[in-house]
Amino acid sequence: MNAVNAICVQEQVLEGDSLEQKWELAQSWGFDGIELRGRGDGSFAARLPELRRAAANGVPMPTVCVEMSHFIGAFDAELRRDAIAQMADQLRIIAELGGRGAMTPASWGMFSRRLPPFEPPRTPQEDTAVLVDALGTLGELAASLGVAILLEPLNRYEDHMVNRLSDAVELIRLIGLDSVRIGADTYHMNIEEADPAAALIEAGPYIGHVQASDSNRLEPGAGHLDWALFGATLQAIGYDGPIAIESRLSGAAAEVLPSVPPLLRRYL
Amino acid sequence: MSDLAIAAATRVLARNWRGSYTVPAAGLYPHQWSWDSAFIAIGLRHISPRRAQQELDTIFSAQWGDGRLPQIVFNPRLDVQYSPGAAFWRSDLIPNSPPVPTSGLIQPPNHALAALLVHQADPEASDRRRFLPRAYDRLRAWHGYLARRRTAASGLVHVVHPWESGMDNSPYWDAPLAAIGDTFGEDIPRPDLDHADASHRPSNAEYGKYLSLAARYRDHDCDDRDDGHPFVLEDPAVNALYARSEWALGQIAELLGHDPAPHVERARAITASLGSLWVPELGCYVARDVVSGQLQRFRTVSGVAPLLIPDLPHTAELLATLEGEHFALGRAALVPSHDLTAPTFDSARYWRGPSWFNTAWLIAEALHERGFAEEARGLASRMADLGLEHDFPEYVDPHSGEPRGTLRFSWTAALSLDLYERLHTRGETL
Repeated sequence: MNAVNAICVQEQVLEGDSLEQKWELAQSWGFDGIELRGRGDGSFAARLPELRRAAANGVPMPTVCVEMSHFIGAFDAELRRDAIAQMADQLRIIAELGGRGAMTPASWGMFSRRLPPFEPPRTPQEDTAVLVDALGTLGELAASLGVAILLEPLNRYEDHMVNRLSDAVELIRLIGLDSVRIGADTYHMNIEEADPAAALIEAGPYIGHVQASDSNRLEPGAGHLDWALFGATLQAIGYDGPIAIESRLSGAAAEVLPSVPPLLRRYL
Repeated sequence: MSDLAIAAATRVLARNWRGSYTVPAAGLYPHQWSWDSAFIAIGLRHISPRRAQQELDTIFSAQWGDGRLPQIVFNPRLDVQYSPGAAFWRSDLIPNSPPVPTSGLIQPPNHALAALLVHQADPEASDRRRFLPRAYDRLRAWHGYLARRRTAASGLVHVVHPWESGMDNSPYWDAPLAAIGDTFGEDIPRPDLDHADASHRPSNAEYGKYLSLAARYRDHDCDDRDDGHPFVLEDPAVNALYARSEWALGQIAELLGHDPAPHVERARAITASLGSLWVPELGCYVARDVVSGQLQRFRTVSGVAPLLIPDLPHTAELLATLEGEHFALGRAALVPSHDLTAPTFDSARYWRGPSWFNTAWLIAEALHERGFAEEARGLASRMADLGLEHDFPEYVDPHSGEPRGTLRFSWTAALSLDLYERLHTRGETL
């Protein structure tokens, strides 16, 4: 991987029968690594042989991003326990693969204060307690493994608990662990932050991962985000970690993805 | 300066951004200032060409019907933090004013130069957003205002208030202000003193006259027809920037497929007219008080700024003046705002001695353009280092380089960044 800001792409947009094949394709498009997707029900742990082989074959996989139906901030205690267990698996596996961390939102698609019934069943104080507990547990595990649990703020329509980088900063300060970091996503920031550049600078010391997609959730360059400003801002906070493309695509992957690394590199 | 410094400058500019423009500094200056914005855009173009365009678009959006670009565009929510503010100007009651509250005065015309540099930072992004044609129309109207309403028989543009020069308490204004009896009768609000040492800022007596002049100009609807206006001055830096910006407009015209000749002709005419401000025994240009007809015989940084103009007849003399005991180029910190040897020199007080980063940038740019490459690089490099070392101060002591005024000053960060990028990283020449 490059010394500065590896540009990664998520595995599901790459065609291929194996991670090695996908990596070959990603490399030919100018990417430096692959972001894994972590499904639930133990299925990520079940991929361990495949992942070990890919790592042995030199596929860089610095991060895994959760893909489940329930999350660490679930209202239901059982689901919450399961989400924490699944994330713990992801942390252990990404550590074994030599990666940096596993990323999760507080929740996704569970509740929005902007949609009926508007009032969630838990108070904000209870939400905070639940998240401090879950992230504290995962943060301690991550610290012991030398990786990070990466909390991703989502926009108001997808989650009601952690929408802005400052929400995540507040939680991380309560938890007090360096192994709990923010996974900042440009698409959500574009909706939630009054000034994404200023927000990134304020949250700078807490940023552990970055996901990039454009204002319309398509690949960078297909919307109206200011990528020059994005690059200058990441440099200004000294962020040298990966930038993973998590987006829908404006056309066929082979047509649109090769333009992404040069676009971002120009400004990094 | 280093990559760390680029990061530090970027953080200042990101933090001082207010959604569509950059404040000169958080606290002391809560609104948008005209020539600050143009200087800031020159640095912002390295961070975000789009944001740099927006910075200029925002000041252009406050253009008056007569073409003037106002000195200040007020943020009405912060009107108590700066004096005189929107409530003093009441620009909504003045004919030809824009929908947003502004000051009625102007500032030096550095905007065309900035617009060209912003365009050049990313011509594709500029073309895609139609930045240059839009800017060209605004800039032509702006320079048209200067030509029509502010140019006297001398062929030079005049300012009607010290603030319009951008160098508020320059010794140039001492005699003209002393000749004015009027002062502002009411209590003089000084919110600036909450943020800065009173000994570094203009005095209360000066402020009283500033307000009185501004009120008179306002009460004449800013129409430039007040024959008895007591302060009418021709300033060398204002005219040098006007000429240099006409050259830039000529380049912009060419890029857009228009005829550059009218701009080149105007630039040459201003250059010729500047001859009447040249004082051979001082080795620099000076200001003229149009009311008294007197030249104001001081060496100031304004008087060496015409080095920015191509085909100037006194380039060699100006370089000698800069390098001599009066400005000590290469030995003093940056370029002192006033003659180091003059009895009127004051190392701490605003434009009567301290070195400023915008004028250092102008002189570095001028040295570069005139082919004094080594001098340009030396000044640029000292400026970038000094900016970073002291957290981008508003200005510095010209002897020691110690910071003065407020910190994290936007144009200091922007222009230090610009010179650093041009010296080291992006392959532009300097």
